[in-house]
This record gives sequence, C-alpha cells and structure tokens, in this order.
Amino acid sequence: MDSALLAQIWDVLSRYVFNVANLQGMLRLSTPVVLAGLCALITDRAGILNIAGEGMILFGAWFAVAGSFFFHSSLAGVMAAILSGLVVGGLFALFSLKFRAHIIIMGIAINIFGNAATIFLTRAVFKQAGAFADPRIVGLGTINIPILKDIPVLGPLLSGYTAIVYLSWILVALTFVFLYRTPWGFHLRAVGEHPEAAATLGINVQAIRFGAVMASGVFAALAGVYLSLGHLQMFTEQMAAGRGFIGMAVNTFGAGEPLGVLLSSFLFGLVDTIGWRLQGERIMPVYFVSMVPYITTLVALTIYTVRQQRRRKAIVDNGVSR
Amino acid sequence: MADMGGLDKSLQPKSARRAGLQRQLRSAAQRSIRIILSILASMVVGSLIMLWYKQNPIQVYIWLFQGAFGSQRAIFISLQRATPLIFTALASMLAFRTGVFNVGVEGQFFVGAIAGTYVGYAFRLPTIIHLPLVLLVSFLAGAAWAYIPTIMRQKLGVSEIITTIMTNYIATFLTSYLVNYPMRGTPTTPETPFVQPTAKLAQFVELPGGLGKGSQAHVGIFIAIALVLVLWFVLKYTKIGYEWRMAGISSRFSQFAGINMDRVFILGMLVSGGIAGLGGAVEIIGVWRKYKDLFATGFGFRGNLAALLGRNTVFGSFVAALFYGSMEAGALGLEWSAGLPRQLIDIAVGLIVFFMAAEGMWDFVASKKGWSLSGLLRRSSGKPQVQGG
Repeated sequence: MDSALLAQIWDVLSRYVFNVANLQGMLRLSTPVVLAGLCALITDRAGILNIAGEGMILFGAWFAVAGSFFFHSSLAGVMAAILSGLVVGGLFALFSLKFRAHIIIMGIAINIFGNAATIFLTRAVFKQAGAFADPRIVGLGTINIPILKDIPVLGPLLSGYTAIVYLSWILVALTFVFLYRTPWGFHLRAVGEHPEAAATLGINVQAIRFGAVMASGVFAALAGVYLSLGHLQMFTEQMAAGRGFIGMAVNTFGAGEPLGVLLSSFLFGLVDTIGWRLQGERIMPVYFVSMVPYITTLVALTIYTVRQQRRRKAIVDNGVSR
Repeated sequence: MADMGGLDKSLQPKSARRAGLQRQLRSAAQRSIRIILSILASMVVGSLIMLWYKQNPIQVYIWLFQGAFGSQRAIFISLQRATPLIFTALASMLAFRTGVFNVGVEGQFFVGAIAGTYVGYAFRLPTIIHLPLVLLVSFLAGAAWAYIPTIMRQKLGVSEIITTIMTNYIATFLTSYLVNYPMRGTPTTPETPFVQPTAKLAQFVELPGGLGKGSQAHVGIFIAIALVLVLWFVLKYTKIGYEWRMAGISSRFSQFAGINMDRVFILGMLVSGGIAGLGGAVEIIGVWRKYKDLFATGFGFRGNLAALLGRNTVFGSFVAALFYGSMEAGALGLEWSAGLPRQLIDIAVGLIVFFMAAEGMWDFVASKKGWSLSGLLRRSSGKPQVQGG
C-alpha cells in the first residue's frame, strides 16, 4: 500500500473517528449507557431478569427535574431521582419477588407505566405537553479537575464534564469492589449462580435480590439524572429512548463484568458520536443516525451470542466440562 | 406466564372432565373476582389523583363512562379507538401464548402501516383486488419485520425482548425517513399522498344510514372480529394451534413430544408480527387514509397491556382491547371537561395489570383478612409457593 493512501485513510480516521471532540462525545454519550448497564448488571448477577430499566430511567429523569426546579438545587434533583429509583425499584421488587408477579410482565408494566406517569406528571405539575424546560431548573454544572485540565490532550479529554460522568466511572469501580471484594457481593453472585445452593448456605436469597433491584433502581435513576440535568436542563417525554434496553445489551456484551460494561458503553458512545458527526457533514440523513445505537445493540448482541455459542461448542467438542 | 390454558380436555376421562369443569368454573369465578378487585384498586388510585386535581371522582367516572358509552357518537369513537388495539392485542396474545415476548408489536404495526399505505396509493386496481392486496402486503411486511428478531432468537439464541424493542426504534426512524423523503406527498407536511378510493375501508358515516357521526369508526372492526374468530378456531382446533399452546406451556416437553419447536416459534412470531402489521394498515385505510409521520404511537404497547389484561386468551384480549379503547375514548372527553390528561387511562390500565399479575398479593390479602372471599382467593393460586426461585 502506498503511503499516500495510508495518509488519506489516517486523515479520514482522525477527522471522523479519533479526535478529541469525538472522544469527548464518546464519553458524554456513553455515560447514561454505563449507568443503565450497571442497572442491568447488578440484577443480572443476582439472577433477576430486570427489563424495567427504561421506566426507572424515565422516573429518575422526571424527578431530577422536579427536585431541581422546586428546591433550586441540582443536588436536590439528584436526591429526588435517587429516592424515585428506590421507590420504583422497591415496588418492582415487592411485586415480582414477594407477590410473585411474572417478572417480565412486571417489567413491561413498569415501562409503560413510567412512560404514561411521567407524561401525566409533566402535564399535571408543570402544565406542559411534550417537554418541560425552565430557567429555574438548576443543571449539574461541570467539574474542572485542577492540574489535569491544563495538560494539552488529556485535559480537554478528561476534565470538564458534569459530576455524573465521573460518578458513573466511580460506580463502575465500586461495583467491581462490591462484587469481588465484599461478602455481600459474594452472596449476590452466589444467589445469581445457584439460588438453591445459596439458600442452603443460609444466605437470604429474597433479601439479596430485593437489595439488587433497589440498587438497579438507583443506577437507572442516575442515568435519568444525566439525561435531564446533564446538558440541557429539561425533561422530554420518552427521553430514555431505549437506553434501559441498551443497558441490558451492554451488560450482555460486557459479559456481566463492571469493566466490560464500561468498555462496551464506550464503544456504543463512539459509534453514536461518529453517527452524529456523519450527519453533521451531511453524509447521512438524521433518521439513519438516530438508528445507530439500536442497530449497534442488535449487532453487538449477535456477535456476543454467536461467540458465546462457539465457545460452548468448543468446550463440548473437546470433552471439557466446566 | 400465569395459566396459559389447560391440557387438551379430550385426553381426560369423563368423571375427571366433570370435576375439571367444576374446577374451571370456580377458577373462572376467582379470576373474574380478581380482575374486578384489580379494577377497583386501580379506580381507588385514580380517585386519589382526581382529588389531587380537585375533581369529584364520582363525577369524573360518570363523565368517563358517558364519554365512552353515553351516546351513539361516544360508542363509535370507542369502537374506533378499540379497532387497532384489537389487532395489537391479538398479536401480543399469540406471541405471549407461544412463550415469546414480542414487545415489538409497536414497530410491526408501523411497518405494516407504511407498506399498506404504499400499496394503497401507488397502484390503481379494482377494489376487489386492491383492498385484499393492501391487507396481504401489510401482513407480510409486519411478519417480515418480526422475522429479524425471530431468527436472532431461534438460530442464535438472542433474547427477543431486547431485539424486538430495538427493532421498534429502528422501525420508527425508518418510517419517519420514508415519510419525510421518498414517500412524501406534500412539501409542507411529512405525510404520504392519500390512498386510492379503491383501497379504503368505509367509515360508518360514509355508509347509507350515516351511523356514528363525529367519529371515524370504520368497517375494519369487522376484520378485527373475524380475526378473533379465526384465531380462536386455530388455537382450539388446529394442529399448529395446539403446538403453539403446548410451546407456551413447556417448550422442553413439546420438544420431547416431537414437536418441531423452531417451526412453531418462528411461525407464531411471524403470524404475530403479521397481525400487528395488518392492524397498522387497517388503521391507515380506515381512519387516516394516508400515512402521517408518527400518526399513532403506543398502539403496540397498549396492545401488549391489553393481552396481559385479557390473560392471554383470544376473547380476553378482545374484550380487554374494547375496554381499553372505550376508556381512551372516555378519557379524550375528560381532557376537555375536567382538564385531566388522558394518560390517566394508561396509568390506570398499567395498575390493573400490576395488581392482576401479582398472584402472591392476593394470597397475602387473603391470609391477613378473614373475609368470606379469602377462601376463594387462597385456592385461586394454583402454583406452588417457591421462594426465591
């Protein structure tokens, strides 16, 4: 290959893919996905199929705006969202674990309910249809990390995001520590892998699962906070836009590991950013750009599942058992 | 899923059949009681919301009822709102029955609608060919859209819950693109040209007699009712219907019994998607007569809820869709008279499903209270109480 072509390829790549603006976009767009991924992860590892993330995100986003609007503080917004996550998660756990409602039916119901309830609340409380924006909603504000922010490339890349972005990374680390370095995490994994065996060891399966679902509610609510208070301070109907489900995909693609969730979310963010960049350059109509995250999810899930099956087949062929 | 229908009755001896009948009657009674209690519970929650709005709940419920059934116009608006829901509810029901969570009915509805619209305006044919062609193409388009997640599930083992949701979003953007660019009929608004007169379903107002003035109810309701009867027959009396039911009860057992599960699942899902697509086209050629961008969101999800509300039976889903549609019609009136957002109905129906699905809640209520209902309710939960399973 001649060097002119290589230079051209590099030129295209650096213009459209690897540049600071894209990587910044990647980190921004991946944040709600990271949190939604953690929401899926914590329940998945406890052996619960939680598809209610979408509804929980919507509640979180709405209550973040409401809290910030009424108490004139973004912290109050975050608190209100976390509270809503605990309540919705608690209700979901109560109905599906204690009252034995079918967990997928419950998830579908929470998602539809969350959508209708947040639209209803927007109309009822703020007298607005479609979206609610107001200068009195206090946004999260950005954090400039001292020293780091002055380093040429790393500064703009790693400094100057809202607190939730950093919080999401910290939560990934904390989830890892929780899962692998604490007895509670050990119990949770045991419950997820073999509930009966865990129960015979004296682990309270119900309590662990209850806790996991509540935690997933908080993660989802934080994803909602980022959507509604992150950049534009507003609540828009259906603003979760499938991120609850993308979170499930990211968790699957990341093999249920916190770091895996983080990295696959970055991949999502990058693909999404490139899509928007292509739209900006009028290479692709906006409708196709909007499809990007969903198509990425389909492709990622397919790749993951096929790879997984091939590995399982290899194990069977070699006569190796786990 | 809670009881998906019993085993084939003809396999049981006569005495067992009589006992079975009694048990069935009792469980039917229990089920209706539970549905009524669920509706009451959600009405109580609804009342609290109305009080918050400083409205008298009893007055609001009267308005709601009047808006749904109070006049000829109200009844026809209810029918109009219910028609697409019957399709999406039946589509959801069939998939759920087969054990597939087709949450993609929404997208299949859209894709069927736009395919039907295209055939509706692009061709000039006599009605007798045109109309069936529109319906056929929309069915095939809905089925084709359902094919992607179906194959991913059956051949690759990817959960259909995520994939069908993803295809919903893709369908929304794809149809938006089509309406905004290649299929756009007018420069001012994103909508297609009108369908040909030969591809329309008549509205009742347009028929001699002029029933249902002020509504856009159309003869598509008869297609919906026919579909109800066909599905009931297929599920009850045909081989594939039997296989669908068995697949939903236990796919592993069905496999052992020699049923080709791949075929059963794929066919079930495709027919489900097809019914959803058919519903989309019927809504277009009956009510709108052209495809407007995002002309009707939420029919798919409401259909999912209606199927759950109808406990995944053909007639249950049908009745639930009628109920849901008429409540929506009533709520449209409420928006005018009481200023209550119509999403109240979605909340209420969501709550009913919540309460109904919560098997254990009824045991809990029954064990705490010494009502005369308690025995009835306690016996109603057929499932063994496994903790943490």
